[in-house]
Amino acid sequence: MIGFLGIDVGSVSTNLVYINEDGKVRESIYLRTNGRPIAALQRGLQEMTELLPPKTVIRGVGATGSGRHLAGIIAGADVVKNEITSHAVAASRVVPGVRTVLEIGGQDSKIIILRDGIVADFAMNTVCAAGTGSFLDQQAARLNIPIEKFGDLSLKSSSPVRIAGRCAVFAESDMIHKQQMGYDMPDILAGLCEALVRNYLNNVGKGKDISGTVVFQGGVAANQGMKAAFERALNIEVIIPPHFGVMGAVGASMLARDHVARGVPTRFKGFGAAESDFRAGSFECDGCPNMCEVVEIRKDGSVIARWGDRCGKWSTRMDRRKISS
Amino acid sequence: MPVIIGIPRSLLFYKYYPLWKTFFEELGAEVTTSGHTTKAVLQEGLKLSVDEACLPVKVAFGHVQALRERVDYIFIPRLVSVSPREYICPKFLGFPDMVRQCVQGLPAIIDTSINMYRREGDMFRQFSEMGAHICKNPLKITAAYRKARSEMARFDSRVEAGMLPEEAFINREGIPGDGPDHRPTVAVVGHPYNIYDSFININLIKRLEESGINIVTADNVPERLVNSYAGTLNKKLFWTLGRRMVGAAYHFTDNPSIRGIIHVASFACGPDSMTGDMIERKVRRKGNLPFLNLILDEHTGEAGIVTRIEAFLDMVNMHGQASGI
Repeated sequence: MIGFLGIDVGSVSTNLVYINEDGKVRESIYLRTNGRPIAALQRGLQEMTELLPPKTVIRGVGATGSGRHLAGIIAGADVVKNEITSHAVAASRVVPGVRTVLEIGGQDSKIIILRDGIVADFAMNTVCAAGTGSFLDQQAARLNIPIEKFGDLSLKSSSPVRIAGRCAVFAESDMIHKQQMGYDMPDILAGLCEALVRNYLNNVGKGKDISGTVVFQGGVAANQGMKAAFERALNIEVIIPPHFGVMGAVGASMLARDHVARGVPTRFKGFGAAESDFRAGSFECDGCPNMCEVVEIRKDGSVIARWGDRCGKWSTRMDRRKISS
Repeated sequence: MPVIIGIPRSLLFYKYYPLWKTFFEELGAEVTTSGHTTKAVLQEGLKLSVDEACLPVKVAFGHVQALRERVDYIFIPRLVSVSPREYICPKFLGFPDMVRQCVQGLPAIIDTSINMYRREGDMFRQFSEMGAHICKNPLKITAAYRKARSEMARFDSRVEAGMLPEEAFINREGIPGDGPDHRPTVAVVGHPYNIYDSFININLIKRLEESGINIVTADNVPERLVNSYAGTLNKKLFWTLGRRMVGAAYHFTDNPSIRGIIHVASFACGPDSMTGDMIERKVRRKGNLPFLNLILDEHTGEAGIVTRIEAFLDMVNMHGQASGI
């Protein structure tokens, strides 16, 4: 079997997918990053070897997500791409004709506007994480409701409660207030979904031309309550693609497939990367008043990559050929 | 021993440095500037500045602090208006007062008011006041003023011919004929102290150049063109910098060689939130020109900026391919 790997190392989850030569998703893995991206990626690679038949050949690897550079170095990626382009590519190939992508992940959310399969506009949330998955996660934990049941419970609501969604901190106090007043749990949960959607549309989606076909992806798309809230707010049917939770990785794998189609050999270092000892460290450079925090990645004790310096003193000192060996 | 006058490398430095420098040097002073913004400069600025100031003002405090001990005078003009019937941001007007209140151990400050709200001709009288700090001879001041104005005019023409200010400060020979530029051109529109300070904008200009992009800014657009486009608005914009940004951006939307526009805004800047919106609306009305609104403050992480710039450049490239450029 011949195929391609896509890796998405995000703040909350680390996802891997394997697509075959036709670009069909065959395997997908969704793991919690738990603040340790290297360990999560290694576990992901390990699990992937167990899923794939022994003779599988990986022709290309794509990395994306906020940890894409780290993942790119560790796995040996052919393409290292930002999350926006990766999500757009995945959505436009899985749902041809898509014009709006709503993506809500663990700590960020984005909107991508496509026209004729090309990104025409995008926006990401800024420092505020009020409209993202980790907030839902937190509230579910506080209410003692497993996050998996959150959506179904909220669908039982008959009249959602209005919750102030401007800020996660205020939303929480508002929710506590509503709950002490005696409102029904499903109504509170549905209200929370609506507040999140409102916050998303007012911040990330502000001024964007949202028109159908609308695709909703990212980990939060697992929540049926959110889908329903989007449909109510937009008055448009919202499509959730089959691999909604790993679309970033799907896009990265497709970009890797496009890349090696030009006849370039892959830089994939093999699943053995799961066994090597990778360590990330950082130090403050004292060469100038910028005091850059330089990140250093070591494989079995020797430095294989450095980044984070403004001037390039450390990152360019790394010999490119040495990195790829 | 000549007196040493320090000019902070901040705020309107990138617009008027040749004017100020020539004027003081012609009067026999030695002119020095603070270095480029670094993390240390920002840290000092954050400590000294009032909380609600925008990032460029906080950075300006750091530059004053950096000059404090090594000069006889610090030049912080009270910039009220640099063009008839227009104003500069009120924070600039109050900057000398804020500095006096917040910075300890200051040398003498030259804080002459520059106010050309009524007529441009008032500038001469204000420069005379400015010069009187170090020279008592009115004839010498008049001559220095003339020399400074003509130096400034030459600087402006180098910038209008396509140089960025930092280059035009040094390279005084005009534009070398480097032939047609085949790189895609992206317009960067923002306050000079945001787009030319590589620390504030996290190396935006260098990142774009390294990605093979040719850059034009609002300052490269001649005043005449800026005014003719700004004149199409229903109401006159009375912020000088805002008028320049909107006028230049409108001109860029009409220029087929411009492949995308990046609007750089300071977090919490009132005029920026308005110009950004006006430009975005204009861009949307005219079609699908790639547009990115980058908002900067001291919490801006490199990752967020890099992701947005990368996605923006992907968008520019995809548009180029789709339209066969």
